[in-house]
Amino acid sequence: MATDVNQLVDAERGLISRRIFIEQEIYEEELKQIFARCWLFLCHESQIPRPGDFFSTYMGEDPVLVVRDTGSAVHAFLNVCRHRGNRLCRADAGNAATFTCAYHGWTYGNDGRLVGVPHFNEAYYGALERDRWGLVPVAQLDSYKGLLFATFDPDAPPLPEYLGEMTWYLDAFFDRREGGIEVVGGMHKWVMPCNWKFPAENFGGDAYHVQWTHLSAIKTSFSTGVVTKPNATGAMVSPGNGHVLICVGPNDVGDPPVPEILAYEAEIRPEVDRRLGPRLGLINPIVGTVFPNFSMLRATSRTFRVWHPRGPDKTEVWSWIYVDKAAPPGVKEAIRLAGVRGFSPSGTFEQDDMDNWQECTRTCRGVVSRRLALNTQMGLGHERFDENLKAWASDFRMSESNHRQFYRRWAQLMAAESWAKV
Amino acid sequence: MRDEVLREVEQFLYREARLLDERRFHEWLELFTDDVRYWMTGRSSRYPASSKAIVVLDRGRTTEGASSAEDELAILDESKATLAQRIARLDTGMAWAEDPPSRTRHFVANIEVEPGEAPAEITVYSNFMVYRSRSETEEDFYVGARQDVLRHVDGTWKIARRRLVLDQNVLLAKNVSIFF
Repeated sequence: MATDVNQLVDAERGLISRRIFIEQEIYEEELKQIFARCWLFLCHESQIPRPGDFFSTYMGEDPVLVVRDTGSAVHAFLNVCRHRGNRLCRADAGNAATFTCAYHGWTYGNDGRLVGVPHFNEAYYGALERDRWGLVPVAQLDSYKGLLFATFDPDAPPLPEYLGEMTWYLDAFFDRREGGIEVVGGMHKWVMPCNWKFPAENFGGDAYHVQWTHLSAIKTSFSTGVVTKPNATGAMVSPGNGHVLICVGPNDVGDPPVPEILAYEAEIRPEVDRRLGPRLGLINPIVGTVFPNFSMLRATSRTFRVWHPRGPDKTEVWSWIYVDKAAPPGVKEAIRLAGVRGFSPSGTFEQDDMDNWQECTRTCRGVVSRRLALNTQMGLGHERFDENLKAWASDFRMSESNHRQFYRRWAQLMAAESWAKV
Repeated sequence: MRDEVLREVEQFLYREARLLDERRFHEWLELFTDDVRYWMTGRSSRYPASSKAIVVLDRGRTTEGASSAEDELAILDESKATLAQRIARLDTGMAWAEDPPSRTRHFVANIEVEPGEAPAEITVYSNFMVYRSRSETEEDFYVGARQDVLRHVDGTWKIARRRLVLDQNVLLAKNVSIFF
């Protein structure tokens, strides 16, 4: 790329160039340097429990088909027919032994093998090397506590190494009880007219906006309003590799303000403490982002989502609501409702984020506005590596230390020729 | 169904649409019974059973339903109390998704009236198209089907149940900050 990435992100001084939110050339580079190399979230294993189950998604802008084959092994393939490049599977989800392309009828098994080519003997003279033209698998596929991830880069570090210390923080969302989590049926998918990094950084470290963007929902009892309480504690925490989390104090309650949910949380607290260990006595992670575009939240709702990039000024949100598998049905239903009402296209929290991210993106179109740096200086110099948290942490509960971590990682990956140089 | 009932229902739905477009949300809320369930979902893309695009491995795992079940994710799933809470939020002066407010126009069409399950109730099917203009040049179309249960209470109709299905899979609007 002609642009020097180091001129775009100055994490030491908390200055981020606005060009990275609008310029097509930088966006194209992100697709290559970030989305074609990082581990990206695909879906939760509870969505594809049985042989033949499949789920259609994207990694960056590449369509990907996640499928459990007849022998129960999970695969992720480019959802692209090898013949003319047509998108192979056009359904969001389902169950299949084989997939047939709608163009010329090439057929693939749920293990990716090319098993059918019309007129193979007459038109191809039987010469097509069918075993070389199966679906293209991702380079690496792995899961952590039921969360399926993949990367297109064979040289990417293995998933446990990529996640690093983030795994404990993920456990605080997805492994609080025996059996882990399951997703509620159905999904929320919608289009936001903003750059994908705005929601990613927001979920990863913007405790600051809650007290103003979301005050209407807090005032009208859609939340316990934990981060707006004067005696609240907490920190912005980054376990490294660009992964970032908003954490509140160990006894701050970020749960939805629904009696069934609050009673449930009180009841399971000893089990959660036992499973997560003493670190939970120091910090309570409630929102976060796995670099680059997988975010999760357990304040007000219980959701995780992918921010699919769709151009420099467009993002598609694919969002799930999850529950502890071991929770009683009444609690699962209460969490479903809290999620619909808090974080969804109509969510009383979520709907107020949209215009902000949209206008933060749109104003970058002005060539003069674009020259301005984004101020990312909150708490600069008031952050440290905390041995007990095994992560970088801000001294105060509001800080842009995580933004600086996120964009430092972004710049590293954008500049590095290979994983070896990251 | 008697013609006069059909006329009453039409006028009721048109008046409701006008209340929404004039942002008279507190009056709009009075159109609902206290036990209302107000529910909206979107749709998804699934292969039908007759499709030759796939050979199904496990018939028990296929769902042809193109919209979510009522115990799955919804776009809205409200009681009268949470509708009131949403309206109270709009009144705070800091509900940014509607500040400045969106400009809406609700159209109701294809109205059919059928007897309801209870003597005082009727089932009303309709289609809706809602246009939203926002900020300077933003436009959204929300198009779908509506199935209402209207109940006759104290000489007037009230909405006892509303089921809305939006026809988009990936919703093209950035949010749903209006009512339908």
